[in-house]
Amino acid sequence: MTWPWLALRGPILWAIAFSGIYALHGVGCTWGWPGVATPLGPLHGVVLAGVWLCALIGAGAIVLTGPRGADRAAAITRLGGWIGLAATLLTLFPVLGVTSCG
Amino acid sequence: MVRPRRPLPVQAGEGRPMTLPPNPPQNALRLHRELERIWGRPPGLRGALCSVNHSEIGKRFMIASAVFFAIAGLLAMLIRAQLATPEGAFLDAAQYNRIFTMHGSIMMFLFAIPMLEGLGMYLLPKMLGTRDLAFPRLSAFGWWCYLFGGTILILALLAGVAPDGGWFMYTPLTSKAYSPGINADVWLLGITFVEISALAAAVEITVTILRMRAPGMRLSRMPLMAWYLLGTAAMMLAGFPPLILGSVLLEVERAFDWPFFDVARGGDPLLWQHLFWLFGHPEVYIIFLPAAGAISTILPVMCRTTILGYGAIVAAVLGLVFLSFGLWVHHMFAVGIPHMALAFFSAASALVAVPTAVQIFAWIGTMWKGHPRLHLPMLHLMGFFGTFVIGGLTGVMLAIVPFNWQAHDTAFVTAHLHYVLIGGFVFPMMAGVVYWLPLILGRERVPGVGTAAFWLIFAGFHGTFLVMHLTGLMGMPRRISVYPDNPEWIWPNLISSAFGFVMAAGFALFALDLVLQVLFGRRARRDPWGAGTLEWAMPMPPPSYNIAALPPGPGADALALARGEGALPGAPRGQRETLVVDTLSGAPRFVAVLPGNSLLPVCTAAAIGGFVLLMLAGLYGAALAALAGVGAVCWWWQGFSGRPTGPATVPVAPGLDLPLHWGMEDTLARSGLVCLLVADGALFGSYLFAAGFLTVIAPGWPAPASGIGTLPAGLLAGGMLAGLAVAAGLARVRGARGAAAGAVAGLAALMLAGLLAAQLDDPTRHARDALRAAGLAYVALHAGVGGLLALVCAVHRRDGAIGPGAQGVWRLWQDFTLATAAILVALVAVQEAS
Repeated sequence: MTWPWLALRGPILWAIAFSGIYALHGVGCTWGWPGVATPLGPLHGVVLAGVWLCALIGAGAIVLTGPRGADRAAAITRLGGWIGLAATLLTLFPVLGVTSCG
Repeated sequence: MVRPRRPLPVQAGEGRPMTLPPNPPQNALRLHRELERIWGRPPGLRGALCSVNHSEIGKRFMIASAVFFAIAGLLAMLIRAQLATPEGAFLDAAQYNRIFTMHGSIMMFLFAIPMLEGLGMYLLPKMLGTRDLAFPRLSAFGWWCYLFGGTILILALLAGVAPDGGWFMYTPLTSKAYSPGINADVWLLGITFVEISALAAAVEITVTILRMRAPGMRLSRMPLMAWYLLGTAAMMLAGFPPLILGSVLLEVERAFDWPFFDVARGGDPLLWQHLFWLFGHPEVYIIFLPAAGAISTILPVMCRTTILGYGAIVAAVLGLVFLSFGLWVHHMFAVGIPHMALAFFSAASALVAVPTAVQIFAWIGTMWKGHPRLHLPMLHLMGFFGTFVIGGLTGVMLAIVPFNWQAHDTAFVTAHLHYVLIGGFVFPMMAGVVYWLPLILGRERVPGVGTAAFWLIFAGFHGTFLVMHLTGLMGMPRRISVYPDNPEWIWPNLISSAFGFVMAAGFALFALDLVLQVLFGRRARRDPWGAGTLEWAMPMPPPSYNIAALPPGPGADALALARGEGALPGAPRGQRETLVVDTLSGAPRFVAVLPGNSLLPVCTAAAIGGFVLLMLAGLYGAALAALAGVGAVCWWWQGFSGRPTGPATVPVAPGLDLPLHWGMEDTLARSGLVCLLVADGALFGSYLFAAGFLTVIAPGWPAPASGIGTLPAGLLAGGMLAGLAVAAGLARVRGARGAAAGAVAGLAALMLAGLLAAQLDDPTRHARDALRAAGLAYVALHAGVGGLLALVCAVHRRDGAIGPGAQGVWRLWQDFTLATAAILVALVAVQEAS
């Protein structure tokens, strides 16, 4: 995989997680997931938080496996990973605390 | 596939630029004449109609978009004249609606995007050290589509049938029931026509940047402007298709009563808002990024230093490209969506300020480490800083949901968007025009007028729009033509109107400055700003071929290049040749032969224009015939793609011969198709989004029981997929017979799609049925195009002319068609099963 693709991994992961969680949110509201109890809480929150956690782990792995070199391509690749991690963390954290479907 | 006959004499280490040994010097005048004969165009009207040269097309785009800017500016003055008093009788409500709609539509679609396209088309090949864009005929085709589409819109304005539903055309206001005339159709068809040029430009720009840089110009070392334009083009490829889909669906609803947006029949007006803003918010960054590219190019020159933080800026562009697609719902905060969804988009809207701020700080740092000179381009850049930062901050305010609810649909939003767009696009573009005009014209600026124009524009702009924030916070809604019961809005509006005319006077003076430069400017010396970048290594103004020899490495000397001391000098084989390089390293791969002047672009655009006009006239049968005419004209485009004669390799530099592209697999056409399929995939993804959104969110679901028979429909769908699979398999087989059989298989799939259409439920019954019919039409169109590509391959094979590239194009298309058709069939099967 060439460095531009490596740099795109983080943002692409964020885009997939963002779209997926937004879609699951709509589906869950329609299908009544907030009213379905699970040992960890309402199904809706569990599913959304679970997907978010997976995405965070993936984004973290991308950062950790980024190139170490000092050249410009390596630096841009590393920054791409950080963009993915920061965006996944900051744009999707509402799955933890905000009312689901109200 | 033909390989280079010997290893390339280049150095490949990161940080050590590659260089080619230059060719020996030749007579510069003889080279110029030789190249001009091949790359130039005939004089007169025929030459103007058939020219495909990127400099000429780029200049046309910029001039036409400036004219459209002037028209939209005049409309803005009419709006300000109307709002100067609370009960203005200057315009009636219907005229006012048309004027504010056209002001926004022209500024967005006929000024901003075409201006950036024109700038990119003109500058990119020069900055990258190549002779033209990757697909010259596509550039010309985009130009004619833009001109014809824009003309339709302006004629509609003059005829009193201009769009009047606002520049974002919300349904149900723009549905047939509430907009029965052709006003909305003019927007939907005219803007979609213009958008063809945007997609064409996006494909051009992407392929040119990735594959046509100067030999040895690494991706990680190319000019920042190229990174910005690459990001812009990628966003255009992904961002325009949702709007194209929305426009097509709304036009089909208006023309044939397919209820995509009709709540009573399973549709939802919010679907339009989603599709529009899926385009509309990235659009802001599509406009901003090229302007930021101009800033990153001009600012270091004005400050006599190098840009600070190249890598951070590239990463910021990357971040903006992605994050800008996660903000669209912040335009819909007031429509009543769940809090959690609001929170996602609010957080993303605030976060997008970070990469923007990274660039702002990089530019401030560049000024800090350099020695700024307050030339006119720098003045405009200062205008950018003083304006755009305010627009960015009010953007963060609007990203916060409670504030957004208060300010939604008020003049505050109008003020914010003008701060962002004029600050983030118009000021940098004016800097760019002043900076690059000596290159374009070969003439110096006449001193004095431009500075006065800047101050008038700057003072006029802030006088108009700063106070408009207050007007909005005082509760004045957008788009009202009178406000007799709100005396508190009188003074702010009067101030805005007065300063609006000051700003208009400034723009008039700016235009006068350009005219003076054209008429009276002294001949400019080469590289007047001391930039040292590649575009200034061209003669001024640049000839049709840009440079007599391609730069063999960094630090190319302009005079040496004019003498042919570089790669691929002159045009000794009488064809338009340029180098294609490796995407990452910039190592030369092969020589592309570009098509010459042609009437095909204007003819194709005229055929599409005929289709648009017939649709507007409601002659749908004739419009279908015109569409067939478009297909027939398109057939002639393939004549250039295969050529059996000519040498297998050509000399590029001493010791380096490279193959011509006819024998290569990874041709420019293949790269172009990949870009096109990215856009096509975005269109298909938008369709899936529409299907999912209506199924999950829209009232009026579940849909009524389906009347399609499981067995006959299943058999027909299975047969269609089998036909497409056979065609995809045959696309992997070399030979005329395989291609001919592939064409037959594609035709069979098309016929089965036709039979399947007869099985579908009435598409006017429910949105689900309409979506199915639309999906089938999508598959049929792709199957038809796949059949045509197979036919092209068969004809070329018969003539012994086909190379592996054309076969690869057909195969890619066929694979995409098969994949999307299979997904659609699976979607319907799931719907039927549930």
